[in-house]
Amino acid sequence: MTAFDRDPVSPVISRRRFLKGTALAGVGAFLAACSSSGATSAPVTSVSASNAAIPTLPPATPAPSVAATPKTITGPLHWAQWPAYIDLTGKAATNLKYAPGSSPTLEQFKAKYKVDVDYEEKIEDNNTFYATIQPELVAGAPTGWDLIVITDWLAAKVITKGWAEQIDQSNVPNCTANLRDALKGQVWDPKNDYHYPWQSGMTGIGYNKASLASAKIAAPTSLKDLWAIDPKKVSFLTESRDTFGLGLLKLGKNADPQQTSADDLQAVHDDIQPLVQGGLTFADNSYLQNFAAKKTWAAMVWSGDLASSGGTDDLFVFPDEGTMIWTDNMLIPKGAVNIYTAETMMNFVYDPTIAGQIANFVYYVSPVKGADVVVTDLNKSAPLDPAVLALLFPPDAVVAKQHNFQFLPDALETTLNTLYLDLAGG
Amino acid sequence: MTAPSLPVRVGPTGPSFRQRVGKATPYLLLAPGILWLLIFFILPTFQMFLTSVSTGSLDNGFKLTWSGAAYVTSLTKFGTQFENSLIYGGIATLLTFAIGFPVAYTIAFRGGRWKNFLLFIVIAPFFTSFLIRTISWKVLLLDNGPVLGFLRDTLHLLPADASVIGTPIAVIAGITYNFLPFMILPLYVALEKIDPRLIEAANDLYASRWGAFRRVTIPLALPGIFAGSILTFIPALGDYVNAILLGSPQTQMIGNVIQSRFLLLGDYPVAAALSFILMAAILVAVSIYARVLGTEQLTG
Repeated sequence: MTAFDRDPVSPVISRRRFLKGTALAGVGAFLAACSSSGATSAPVTSVSASNAAIPTLPPATPAPSVAATPKTITGPLHWAQWPAYIDLTGKAATNLKYAPGSSPTLEQFKAKYKVDVDYEEKIEDNNTFYATIQPELVAGAPTGWDLIVITDWLAAKVITKGWAEQIDQSNVPNCTANLRDALKGQVWDPKNDYHYPWQSGMTGIGYNKASLASAKIAAPTSLKDLWAIDPKKVSFLTESRDTFGLGLLKLGKNADPQQTSADDLQAVHDDIQPLVQGGLTFADNSYLQNFAAKKTWAAMVWSGDLASSGGTDDLFVFPDEGTMIWTDNMLIPKGAVNIYTAETMMNFVYDPTIAGQIANFVYYVSPVKGADVVVTDLNKSAPLDPAVLALLFPPDAVVAKQHNFQFLPDALETTLNTLYLDLAGG
Repeated sequence: MTAPSLPVRVGPTGPSFRQRVGKATPYLLLAPGILWLLIFFILPTFQMFLTSVSTGSLDNGFKLTWSGAAYVTSLTKFGTQFENSLIYGGIATLLTFAIGFPVAYTIAFRGGRWKNFLLFIVIAPFFTSFLIRTISWKVLLLDNGPVLGFLRDTLHLLPADASVIGTPIAVIAGITYNFLPFMILPLYVALEKIDPRLIEAANDLYASRWGAFRRVTIPLALPGIFAGSILTFIPALGDYVNAILLGSPQTQMIGNVIQSRFLLLGDYPVAAALSFILMAAILVAVSIYARVLGTEQLTG
């Protein structure tokens, strides 16, 4: 988040667009109020129709609908999450779905609040997941989820469109008290009315030590090294912001939404094109399986995954050129049924003890103050490997080279998607 | 007329209620199907056509401008993917026929009391999800998987860097496997209907076994061949799952383009235009195919 914090006035979301967002939140609150009476609100069939409706409604604050939420726990809590993102173990981790007894954190929550949790690792990629909920959100219908975890750029999009329920801050005292300062004051939600971070992470290089050694290839330390491995054994990410962001760094360009031009992205495209012709593939979170099957030897990966869920030979390295930094955020989508339970869960995971327990398992950067102390305590008897510790608490040298390439101006985003699709063959 | 016991029809001079109902019966029976098609096929198709001639973006909405730009983009930019679809779909259809015909023939003429069991085996894969089956192929075809590993390391038939996953071979293999039952079942139905005495008669008339097969069995099986190849070729042409899971960026098909334009880029006009072009291409191909095979044989 550092790149973003340095310049909080992002051109991505102008004041006008932000106001439009709050107005839409009003529409959403109105629709939610209609649907709570039992009858589903009339679906708005197209995006243009929902946009056309904005000027006719006053930019109401959605607060009344929040105050109306009864403070009783209801369930089960439907929670859509990324794989390898909580202490899920055993068969449940393979099935990507929580089963009783598979996660200490969820077990504690269930015991404390006497409610069931339907925790599913349904999100492999922001775009693909967004496509599954976007039609419902546009139509003002429930998405089926009470809590979703999405990356900055998508969280900003969902919130500015008014598709997130407002969080009642009085229900989340742990969040208000323990959110790390560096993550506060996002332009798209400055007061955390609609989101709280789940984990932050970095995008860098992952590789399988044994595979590379048997092919007599030196372990990669820079992005240039990644370009030098047989592309058939390499995968980049379907999250185009990560792939192109690292691509910019590899070319020695600054990965900064304010400075990057369409030409820069074109240069990255042209730099990756030969690899694609040589057999490079693009992977979502499924790179974990590809590493396990030895299909992939080296790849662009997200920082905590290989350490928490990969094999012993699968390692993560911060490339010399720098890393991408991003945050995945918890949001309550419009139309959620168990809003209070979702808020209770946010509050629960912002308890430093719980946050430390999660961080100690997933190896990502916790957004919760005091989680670091808990992690250190948990590993008193057997201190963590320094490499793993660097994932949880990135060293200053790494932090200095973190780039946030999340919030792109509309035109740049379209260019990025088009260039990415051209590479991916779509 | 002095017998008042005969029932006398009273009412207006037009057709009776029962007559009217009788006349309307076919329409009443068709109504659910027609309504279904109207609401879930005709209307969306019309909507999609309007989208294909609109301009705009997902965030700001699409406006009907009757612009043909989406069609120009569709026809100029995605030649490779259209080509891939045609080639992969075509080869897969030929392969399903080559594999499926002997299977259907054997079940129909030699199946005996095992017929039902054999047919069950043919459709058994359908009890598993399409995705799971395709992902299993991915596992099978991996570089160190059971197939390649065995051929390369045990039999030394393949060079060390042999790879199938990510090549057209993997995609075609996946499509062939996934659509095979759609070929076998119509072929079986057509072959099963053939009266064996016709083949005997051909033999009596001095036809060789091959001659009888060519001039009796094949013509009688034509409706099955037609139905089977249509049922395989059309969905294979629009398939995108096999290309995603088994292919690489070079083996993407037109279905992948439509999917990513709709879901990733939010470029609805081009996605809709591509769908229309695909639909038109299929219609043209099928009507040529029907003309060549002769429609009266297909309905008979």
